[in-house]
Amino acid sequence: MRKSIFLSLVLLLTVNVCLLAQKTITGKITDAKTGKPIGNASIMVSGTTSGTASLADGTFSIVVPQDAASIDVSVLGYKSKSASTNASTINFMLDESNTKIMDEVIVVGYGTKIKKDLTGNIAKVKGADVQNMPVTNLNQALQGRAAGVFVESNNGKVGEGVKVLIRGSGSISASNSPLYVVDGIPISTNSYSGNPIADINFNDVESFDILKDASAAAIYGSRAANGVVLITTKKGRSGKTTFQVNSQFGINNPTHYRGFLDAKEYVALLREAAINSDNLDGVDPLDPNQYPDSWLEFAEGRLDRYSGWSDWRTNQTNTNWEKLAFNKNAATSSLDVSATGGTDKTKFYLSLSSINQTGILIGNRLKRVSSRINLEQTVSDKFKVGFNLSLTQTKTGRVAVDNEFSTPMQIVALSPVTPQKDLDGNNYNAPTTTYSNPYVDYVDGKYNSTTYRNIGNIFGQYTFNSNWFFRSELGVDLQNQNDDQFYGANTTYGNGSNGYGESDWYRGLTYNSNNYFNFKKKIKEVHDLDAVVGMSFQQYNSDFASVYGEQFPTQQLQKLASAGLIKGGSSNESASAFLSYFARANYKFNNKYLLSVSTRIDGSSVFGIDRRYGFFPSVSAGWVLSEEKFLHNVKAISFLKLRASWGLTGNADGFGNFASRGLWDGSAYNGSGGLVPSQLANPDLRWEKSNQTDIGIDFGIFNNKISGEIDYYSRKTNDLIYNIPVPGNTGYSSKTVNVGSMENSGFEFVLNTENISKKNFKWSTSFNFAANKNKITKLDGEQTLLAGNDGRYLNSLIVGQSIGVFYGPKYAGVDPTNGDALYYKQDGTKTNDYNEAGNYIVGNPNPKCIAGISNTVSYKGFDLSVLFQGVFGNQIMNGAGGFMSASFDWFDNQTKDQLNRWRNPGDITNVPQLRLGGGNGISASSRYIEDGDYVRLKNITLAYNIPASTLKRLKLTSAKIYVTGVNLLTFTNYTGWDPEVNTDYRASNRNQGGDFYAAPQIKNYSFGLNLGF
Amino acid sequence: MKKIFIPLTAIILLITGCAKQLDILPTQSVDESLVFDTDANIKAALNGAYDLASSGDLIGGNTQMYSELLGAGGEITWVGTFNQPDEIYNKSILTNNSFVRNTYLSGYRLINVCNNIIASIDKVNASDRDAVKGQALFLRGMAYFEMVKLFAKPYSAGNTSTNLGLQIVTTPTINGQVTAANNVPRSSVQQTYDQIIADLTAAKTIIGGDAGEYGSEYAVSAVLSRVYLQTGNYAGARDEANNVIENSGLSLESDYSNAFNNTSASSEDIYVLPVTAQDGSNEMHTYWSILDYGARDGDVEVNQEHIDLYDAADARLALFYIDDNDIYRSGKWKFQYKNLPVIRLAEMYLNRAESNFRLNSSVGASADDDIDMIRSRVGLPFINVTLLDILNERRLELAHEGQRIHDIKRLRLAVDGFDYDANELVFPIPLREINASAGVLVQNDGY
Repeated sequence: MRKSIFLSLVLLLTVNVCLLAQKTITGKITDAKTGKPIGNASIMVSGTTSGTASLADGTFSIVVPQDAASIDVSVLGYKSKSASTNASTINFMLDESNTKIMDEVIVVGYGTKIKKDLTGNIAKVKGADVQNMPVTNLNQALQGRAAGVFVESNNGKVGEGVKVLIRGSGSISASNSPLYVVDGIPISTNSYSGNPIADINFNDVESFDILKDASAAAIYGSRAANGVVLITTKKGRSGKTTFQVNSQFGINNPTHYRGFLDAKEYVALLREAAINSDNLDGVDPLDPNQYPDSWLEFAEGRLDRYSGWSDWRTNQTNTNWEKLAFNKNAATSSLDVSATGGTDKTKFYLSLSSINQTGILIGNRLKRVSSRINLEQTVSDKFKVGFNLSLTQTKTGRVAVDNEFSTPMQIVALSPVTPQKDLDGNNYNAPTTTYSNPYVDYVDGKYNSTTYRNIGNIFGQYTFNSNWFFRSELGVDLQNQNDDQFYGANTTYGNGSNGYGESDWYRGLTYNSNNYFNFKKKIKEVHDLDAVVGMSFQQYNSDFASVYGEQFPTQQLQKLASAGLIKGGSSNESASAFLSYFARANYKFNNKYLLSVSTRIDGSSVFGIDRRYGFFPSVSAGWVLSEEKFLHNVKAISFLKLRASWGLTGNADGFGNFASRGLWDGSAYNGSGGLVPSQLANPDLRWEKSNQTDIGIDFGIFNNKISGEIDYYSRKTNDLIYNIPVPGNTGYSSKTVNVGSMENSGFEFVLNTENISKKNFKWSTSFNFAANKNKITKLDGEQTLLAGNDGRYLNSLIVGQSIGVFYGPKYAGVDPTNGDALYYKQDGTKTNDYNEAGNYIVGNPNPKCIAGISNTVSYKGFDLSVLFQGVFGNQIMNGAGGFMSASFDWFDNQTKDQLNRWRNPGDITNVPQLRLGGGNGISASSRYIEDGDYVRLKNITLAYNIPASTLKRLKLTSAKIYVTGVNLLTFTNYTGWDPEVNTDYRASNRNQGGDFYAAPQIKNYSFGLNLGF
Repeated sequence: MKKIFIPLTAIILLITGCAKQLDILPTQSVDESLVFDTDANIKAALNGAYDLASSGDLIGGNTQMYSELLGAGGEITWVGTFNQPDEIYNKSILTNNSFVRNTYLSGYRLINVCNNIIASIDKVNASDRDAVKGQALFLRGMAYFEMVKLFAKPYSAGNTSTNLGLQIVTTPTINGQVTAANNVPRSSVQQTYDQIIADLTAAKTIIGGDAGEYGSEYAVSAVLSRVYLQTGNYAGARDEANNVIENSGLSLESDYSNAFNNTSASSEDIYVLPVTAQDGSNEMHTYWSILDYGARDGDVEVNQEHIDLYDAADARLALFYIDDNDIYRSGKWKFQYKNLPVIRLAEMYLNRAESNFRLNSSVGASADDDIDMIRSRVGLPFINVTLLDILNERRLELAHEGQRIHDIKRLRLAVDGFDYDANELVFPIPLREINASAGVLVQNDGY
C-alpha cells in the first residue's frame, strides 16, 4: 500500500510540466463605490482551476496560457466580473453584491460549492465566529451555532466527553458521532482516555462545514450515517506577511452550587430520621432505657465518629464540603500567535498557540500547546503542492469518573459536622469522614494524561487543462498518549496496598490517501457540469501497553520503577481499514436547475468476508425559482430555491474491529497460558444503513436582508447492529447481528437578518431551530421492550419510543397519613410497595428541540456579540437521588429539599418521612426525574477596535480589546447542578440524561487583547 | 488525454494493492477453527477451561459464598452494598440477579469449552489423550454439579425423576451456529446427577495425575464423594473418600491455620486454585476480608452466634480475627493473593466418618478415629462420636468454605425459617435464559 502511494506521488511529480506559451497579466482590484483596494479576491483563468489572489493593496499578477480567452474575478461580497485577456494590464472595479450570503463558499467532500448551488443541507460555521472562545473543545464552541447539531458536554470536567448528535441519535450500539475530516483527511476519534477532539486548536480553523443530509454526506459513504464535520484550516495568502497575536486571561467557576444541609440541619434531620425508624420498630429512643441498641444510639455514635475532634452537639463544625470540590476562580489563559503571507507562488500560514485552563474541579486541568504550518507552493501554472501539519501536546490533569468515591463531586456526601482537618492539620479521611474523602485523593493522587497529536497531510494537484485536474492527498493522524496514575497509601485506590501506580501507553496511527479527478466544464453558457471521481484508502492502527503495581516505599516515589509489587501488565494492538471508490456529478442548467448524483463503494475490514463492500448512492436536485421569469417581478424575493435529496449512508464504527469472527482469547491459569472463547462468529455482519430524505427551501427576501433555510428530513436506519441474547447453554451470552431499526425525523429552520446596516451602526441576527423525533422501530425482532431499571436509572429501549426513554415506576407522592412514599400500580391505584409499582414511560432524555440565537451589533469601534442557546423538552434523572435526596436513608448529606419532609399526619409534601435505614422512596422512579429544559447565555463578547488613526501611530494594522464570557447565565427549572449533563461513567447511546454527582458546566469570564501587524 | 492516463494507472495500481489490505486479522485472538486443530492448542484450551472454572462466578469464590449466604442461619450477616448477594442472603432473589446470571453463564461457558475439547480429542497426541479427556470430563462433571446444587431442588427432596435439573449439553457450539436446537429443555434432577456421575466415573479411570492445581484421580474421587453424599449413596461417598485418604499421599497440615492463606498447595489440598497478585481470583477474600487487607469493606460479618459454637480450646477459633469495629472476620480468607482451597483432605475424613457411621462400617478407619484426626489437630480430646458429633465437627471444620447450604439440604435441616427444600433456597433460572429460550425453558417454582 505504502509503496503504491509513493508510486503515485512519484508519478505526479514526474509528470511533464507543460510548456505551452504563456503571458502575464497584472492589475488592481478596487471597490467601485469607495475606490478602496480589495485584497484576497480570486482571479481565475475562465473555465479552469488555475488562478491567484489579489494582495492587500488590491494588486495582482497572473500567468495565463496564450489560448485563454478571459479571466474571472470574484470575491465574497461583490459581484463577479470577467475580462478578456487581450490587455496586459486590467483593472477591475467591483460593485457590492447583495447576495453575499448566497455566494459563500461551502466545503463539500472532495471539493467546494457556492451556497446558492447547493442541493444538500450543509451548515457552515466560520472559524472567525468561534475564534478565541475560552473553551477547550471545538464542539463546545459550535454549540448553539448550527441547526440540528446537538452538543452536550457530559459534565464540567475539562478535556472530557462531549456528545455531538447531528439530526438525532442514529444507532443503538454502534457509534453515534459524526465523522471528523480535517483538510480532507478523516481523523481518529479514538483515544485511550479523554477527548481526542480537544487536541485540535480551533483558532486555526477557517471554517466548519457540517454535512447533515445524506446527499451531502454520502460521498463519505460508510462513515457518514451520523453526519460529517469538515474542518478546513486557515490557508496562506499572498502579499505582505501579517501577524496576529491574541492573548487572553480569564477565570472559571461552576455555573451553580447545589447546596446541601448545614451542620445544624444535618444533625436535626439525622436524629429525626433515627427516631422515626425507632418508632416504627416500637422503640422510644428518648427513653434512656430503650436508648441502647436503638437507631438513635447508632446515629449519634456515627455523629461522634464523624465529628472528629469537634462536638456536633454544639455545632462546633460546619463544613461546606461542596465548596471544597471546586477551585475558586480557577485561572485560564491562552496565547495565540499566527503569521500569514506569501508570494504568488508560495503561501503560508503559521501558528503557535497555548491554552492553559484550570478546571473548576480540584485536580482537573488542561494545557495544550499546538503549532501549525500550512504551506502551498505553485510549481507551475499546472501543478501545485502543499502541506498542512499540526503538532499538539495536550496535558490533562484528570479526575475519576462520576461514580467513583474518589471523584471530587462525591465529597458532597460527607457530613457537615466533620472538620476538614484533624488537629495535626491533616485532612480527615474515612472512617472519620462518612466515605473516603476525595480531597485526600486529590492531595495524594494524580492522574496525568499527556497526548502528542500530529495531524497532517501533503497534497499535489495537477491541472491538465481548463477542464481537468487530479489531486492526490496523503494524510496522517498520529496520536501518542501516556496516562500516568499514582494514588498514595491514604487514597481510595492506594489503601491497603501502600499506594497504587499505573502507566498506560497508547499509540493510534491513521493514514489516509485520497486520489481523485475533478472535471469542470461550462457548455454553451447554460450547462454547468462538474464531476469528481476517485478512490480513498484508510487504515487505522492502535497499540496499547499498560503496567500497574503497588507497594510504593514512599509517597515521593511515584513511578512504577519504585513499585514493590508489579501487579500486572499487558499490551495489545488492533487495526481496521477502509477501501473506497467514489464519484459525484453536479449539473446546473441556466443557473436554475440543479442536479447532483453521487455514489460511493466502501470496503471495510470489520465486516464478514462476503459483506465487506457496501454501495452508498445519493441523488439531489434544486430549483432556483428566483431565476424564473415569473418571480423577476416579485421585488421582495431576492433568492428562492427548492431542494430535495435522498441518500444512503452507513455506519461501521463503534463495535470493535473483529466482530464478525468467532474468536478465542488468551487467558492464564497457574502461571501458564490458555485459550478461552470470546465471541460467536457472524460472517453475515454488515453495515448499519441509513436512508435519509430531505426537502428544503433556501430563501432571501428584501435584498437578502432576510435569508434563511427551512428543512424537513426523515432518516430511517436499518440493519442496526445489536448484541442479541443467545441461550447461555451455548457457552455464549450474545451474538452481534444486524437486526434493529430506528427513525429520526425533524424540522430545521435557519433565519439570518440584517436588522440595521448603517455606516456606523450594524446589527444582525442569526437564529437556528431544530426539532427532532427519534423512534425505535425494531429491536432484536422478538422483544419490543428492554427495560432498563437498574435501581438508579430507567433508560430503556422500547419499540415505538425514543432511544433511552425512562421506563419504570411512577412516584405518587407521600401518603399524608404515615409519610410513606407511594407509587402507582399498573392499574393506577397507589401502593407503598416499590415491588408492586407498575411501569410507565416517565420521561425522555432526548430533547424535542434545540435552538440558538446570536446577535451581532457594531457601533463605531465597538462590537458586541451575544449567543443564547437552548435545549427543550428533555428530562434528566438524578441517579444519585437515592443517596442525596433519600430521606436520610443513610448518612450521606442531603439536599435542601429534604427539609420539606413529611412530619405529621396530614402533612402534604413530596418528601417522604425521614427514616434511617428505612429505604423510604429511594429506588429509581419518576421521583428523581425533572425537566431538563434550559436557555443559556452561551457566549457574550464585547470588543473595542482601536481606531485606524491610533493604529497607524502604533504601527499596527488592527487592535482589539475584548471581554468575553461563557455560560454566564442559565435559565432552567432543573434543581441539580446543571441541566447540560450526562454522567460520564455510563454515557452511551442509550444511557442519556443521567446525573450522578456530575460537575456543573464551567462559567468563564475572560479578558483579551488581539493585535494585528 | 495521455496525461490523464498516468494517474489513472496509478489509481488502478492502488486499487489492486489495497483490496488485500482489508484482510486484517486480530492479534490478541485466534479464529476458533485454529483452536481445535492441534495438540498444543487443545491443551491450551484445557488450561483455559481451568481458568474459567477458577473464575469468581464459579469456584473462584462465589459458589462458596452463595452456599454460606443461603445457609447463614444467623451465624453470618451480609452487610455489603451489593444488592445481588444481599438478595441471596435474604432468600428473596430476583430473576435478573446478575450474580446468579453470571454463574449460570460462566458454568455453561466452561461446559462448552469441555465439550469442544472432548469433541476434538482425536487431535490430541495419543499419549496424552486420556489425561486431557479425563480433565475435560472432570471439569464438566464438576460444573454441572456446582450448578445443579444451586439451580435445582436438592436430591434429598425426592421426586428426582420429575424435579427439574439442568439443561444437559454435551456437544460443542461451533462456527457461530445458534439454532432452535439450542433451546434445550431441562433434564430431571436424576438425569443431571446421572450425567455428573457418568462424567466423573469416566474421568476417574483415565485422568491420572497428582492432587494440586489441576484435576487428578483424587480430585475426581473427592468430588464424587461429595456427589454421593448429596444423593445419599454413603457407600460411594465412603469409598471415594477412602481412595483419596489411602492413595493420594496427602496428609493433614499439622496446624489448622496452615491449610489457608497459602501461596502454594498445602499438604491437604486435593484441588486448590492458585491465586497470585497477577492472576486468579479469590472472591471469598474480596467479600469476607476487609480494606486493611486489600479487600472490600468487610461485606460478610461473622456473628457471635457462630463463634459460640466452638470450644474455647478449639484452635479453629483462633483463626478468627476482630477488626477495628469489633466485628469477627474469618481468618481463612484474610489475606490477598492467597490460594483458594476447593477441597481439602479434612473433608474426606469427615465424609468417610459420616458414611462409615451411617453404614455401621469402618472402611479405612473407624468414625471415631477419623473424627479424632480432625479434633486432635485443633487441640480437642478424643470422643466416641454420635452422628450429631460428626455433623457438628463437619460444620466447624468446613465453616465458611462453601459447604453449609448443601449440608443443610442433604440433611433436611431448616435455615432462617426456610425448610431444606424451600423454593427460596433454590436459585431462579436467570431471566435472560427464560427470555432467550423461546419458551422452552421452565422456571423454578416460586419465581
